[in-house]
Formats: sequence, C-alpha cells, structure tokens
Amino acid sequence: MSAATHEIIRCAHVTVRYGERLALDDVTTAIPCGVATAILGPNGAGKSTFLRALLGWHALAPGGEIRIGDAHAHHQLPRLAYLPQRHAIDWDFPITVRAVVAQGRYPSLRPWQCLRAADHAAIDRAMGELGITELGDRQIRMLSGGQQQRVFLARALAQGADIFLLDEPFAGLDLYATEELTHILRAWVAQGRTVLAAVHDLALARAHFSHALLLNTRLVAAGPVAKVLTEEHINAAFRGGRCLHDNPLRGVSTTHFPA
Amino acid sequence: MTAHDLFIEPFTFEFMRRGLLSALLLSLSGGLLGCILVLRRLALMGDALSHSLLPGVAIAYALFGPTLPALFGGALLAGLLTAVGSALLSRLTRVKEDAAFGSLFIILFALGVAVVSTLRSRIDLMHFLFGNILGVSSADLRLAALTSATTLVVFVVFYRPILLETFDPVFLRATGGRGGLVHVGILCLTVLNLIAALQAMGIVLSLGLFLLPAVTAYLWCDRLGRMLALSVALALAGSVLGILGSYHLGLASGASIVLSLGVFFLFSAAFSPRYGFGVLILQKLRAGKAVLHDTR
Repeated sequence: MSAATHEIIRCAHVTVRYGERLALDDVTTAIPCGVATAILGPNGAGKSTFLRALLGWHALAPGGEIRIGDAHAHHQLPRLAYLPQRHAIDWDFPITVRAVVAQGRYPSLRPWQCLRAADHAAIDRAMGELGITELGDRQIRMLSGGQQQRVFLARALAQGADIFLLDEPFAGLDLYATEELTHILRAWVAQGRTVLAAVHDLALARAHFSHALLLNTRLVAAGPVAKVLTEEHINAAFRGGRCLHDNPLRGVSTTHFPA
Repeated sequence: MTAHDLFIEPFTFEFMRRGLLSALLLSLSGGLLGCILVLRRLALMGDALSHSLLPGVAIAYALFGPTLPALFGGALLAGLLTAVGSALLSRLTRVKEDAAFGSLFIILFALGVAVVSTLRSRIDLMHFLFGNILGVSSADLRLAALTSATTLVVFVVFYRPILLETFDPVFLRATGGRGGLVHVGILCLTVLNLIAALQAMGIVLSLGLFLLPAVTAYLWCDRLGRMLALSVALALAGSVLGILGSYHLGLASGASIVLSLGVFFLFSAAFSPRYGFGVLILQKLRAGKAVLHDTR
C-alpha cells in the first residue's frame, strides 16, 4: 500500500453537543488521503457523530472547522459518500436493488429531470464492480447480508465520490461477508479512494485498516494503526474510569480472523 | 334490478355526482399520501392528527361559519399544535414522544367535542365526525380539486426527495437534501387532505381512505411506483363501491367507503401470494412447522 502523501480531511477543534451532553470534545486531527482509516472507541465515544459531522449533519460549536481537500466541507458533499448502519434501513421497503443504486445519481439531478444515459452507465458500472448486476430486479429483503451491504456500497460508488464514510459496516455480517467487505475496501484503497469506517472490533481494525482514529469523546490517538492501538491508548479510551474489568486486549488476542 | 339501476341511476342525482366526484378527487391524492404515511410508519400518527383537528375546525366554524380558509386555518393550527406540542413535551419532560402525542390529541379531540356540543347550528357532532356525502357543496368540490392537484404536483416534482426521506433520510441529508422540509411538507399535505375529506368522510373516517389502499398495495408490490399506482386505483375503486353501497343499502357514506376498502385489505392480508398469511400458513403446515413461531 502506498505511503500516505497528504491529508484529505482536516478537523480543527471540532466540538459537537447533543443538548447538554458533549458528543465530540475539541477533536483536532487529519485523515490521510487514499488509505483506510478505522474510527474506534467505546459505545458513545462519538464515532457516528464524527462521521456525520464530516457530512455537515451536526452544527459545530464555534471555533470548530472541518475542511475537505482545500475547501469547506459544505462545498465538497459530492466527494463524500455515506453508508448508513444496517438497522437504519427498512428492508421491507418496496424497492429493488437497481433503484437503490440509482439513488446515488439523485443528488446530481434536478427534481423533474429523468436519469440520463450517463447516469444509467454509472449505475451499471457500480453494480458491475460490486458483482450485483444479476440482482437488479430483486427486492432488497431477498438478498444475503453481504449482498445487502454491497447494494449500498454500489450506491456510494454511483455517487462518483472518492471519500467513503461507513458507519459500522461490519455490524451484523457473518465471517464470509466480513471477509468479502474487507476485500472490497482494500480494492477501493488500491484505486486511490479514501475509506473512513466506524469499527467496533479492535482485531478487525488491526487486520484490515492501515490507519486508526481512537476516540473517547476526545481524541485519544490518531495515525498508523500499530501506533494507535497500543495498550496505553486502549486503556485510556476504553477504561477512562468507566469500565474496570479485563484489559480489552486480552479478549482481542484470542480472536482470529482469516487473513 | 338491472345494471342501470345499480350503477347509473344513483348518479342521476346531483348530490350523488358531487359526492362521487369529491371522493374520486380525494382518492387520487389520498392514495399517494397514504403510501408515504404507511412506509414512514406514521399511520397511527396520522390517525391521531386527524382527531386533533376537530377543535380547530369547530372553533373556526363557530367564529367564521363554513368558510374554507377559516376551516383550513383552524385545522392547520390544531394539527401544528399537536405536532409541535408533543415534540416539545417529549423534549422538555420525561414523557416519550408517542405518549405525548397520544395525550395531546385526545385532549384536543375532547375539546373539539365540547366546542361542537355548544354550537347551536344545523351541523351536529355526527357530521363533523363521520361526514355526509349528501352535503358536498361546490366549494367543497373546489377544495377537493385544489388539494388533489397540489398533492399530485408535489409528488411529481419532489418524488425523489420524498422517496429518499422515506427510505433513507440520513442519505438525503448527507447529499445536501432538505429532509426536514420534506417531512413538514408531508405533514402539511396530510392536514390539507384531511380537511378536504372532512365533508365527505368526517374527521374520524377520512384517514381510512388514505391508509387502507396503501397497506393493501403494500401487500402486493415490491416497487414504490407500482405501490403508488395500485394504491390510487384501489382508493378509486373503493370510493365508487362505497358510494354505491351507501346509496343502495342506506349506509353512512364514509363508513361504506372505508368498509369496501377494508374488504380489499383483509382479502389481501389473507391471499397476497407473497406477503399474505394464507400462503405462509400453507407453507408452514406443509413443512410441518409451527405457524406463529417465526414468520421469516
């Protein structure tokens, strides 16, 4: 994998509040371009909030700033693709695989405009790349978990984005589908795309991501995965005075994933 | 009884033609809107909302008489009061949103009943609650036409934002869409349609014209476009059947329409080839499994 050349997302003093509660506290960090970065941290650490802040979903407290490339994040929305959590989707919704992928083209259309030939081509390409061309007419419930995941990855591709924000993409996937997804993400990074994923599993992050961002409302550490996931940092993020049982690393060392 | 007696003769009367036209116009918009309410899981909220409109309509009626702008304004205010009030209550107190909504709408409904009971006019409580298709005036028809046209135009122009807001609101927001605006727009359209249906269907029954065709179509279709089309078709068919039924059998018109639609729904729930319980039970019995254990 190529060495990170420059930073594509820069966050300075990013603070997000839900009412009284701090969800993100003064996070200053940068995400390198063209690599896979895992966002890690305990429940409520602000992983999802961080992703949605990048999309401009949350109002930042004064003094905070997010820049994508050289521009303000708001002007760069077309470069960002967001993959929702699985449980956020109603799988009984009357919609076909192709119609979901086509949604990736909606942002570039005016309200009354139909899909153009170029849009159909982009949809075909995205479905082809993720191997779901044959499933186009299926309702989305009639797919395996891995296939469902790929439909939404294809929608992100069809958007024409180069930065992919994935919220817990591995949640609820079986071992086979997990492996498949890591292959897809590796291929994307090899093509120069930037992947940013909220991940729950430390071992998974260690095995498949080159960079990591460890959060516990505040930023604990960021950088190459081996330097971030040290015992000291993990203790700081996961214990933080709230959880006194075993070292989370011990559980990690007994888990094996296929390479 | 000949076909002429059954289908043509009822509509030789002016009031029957008006009633039919009004129901058909509202079927067009209600069929579309119902699908979105069902898919957004707002069916119960829509029902509560419709009840809470009563005091707004009744007070507007008491103050200004049966003028449409006043009725619409009153209903909109009452609807907004319920929606905003329950949102505030759930945020500022320990009460959760559904309980807040349920409490507010029943208070407003009772207030409405109280106001109506003090009105000294020919229009009584039954009329507000259950409608009277015989009383559809040309002003009511105009409102129904306006409502129907507005709803259709909104659905054609904003089909994609409405679809996205219903299917994946986070994606809509993440791609720069105005999700909140779409949501408020749908609620306003709902209130508008409920007002327009007030005369023909009444406050309690009008939502049946919107929801029943939509859930029925939901049992048959795997594409949103087809679901919308089928829902509108069912609403139209139910309106015609219901009005004929009310004429020949002397039933209340609103109830008759809702009952016709109810027959469609119950039939579909049983016999829909993919999502009905009939097929499911048959499969389980053949496989020798327990029926209610796991439905997927």
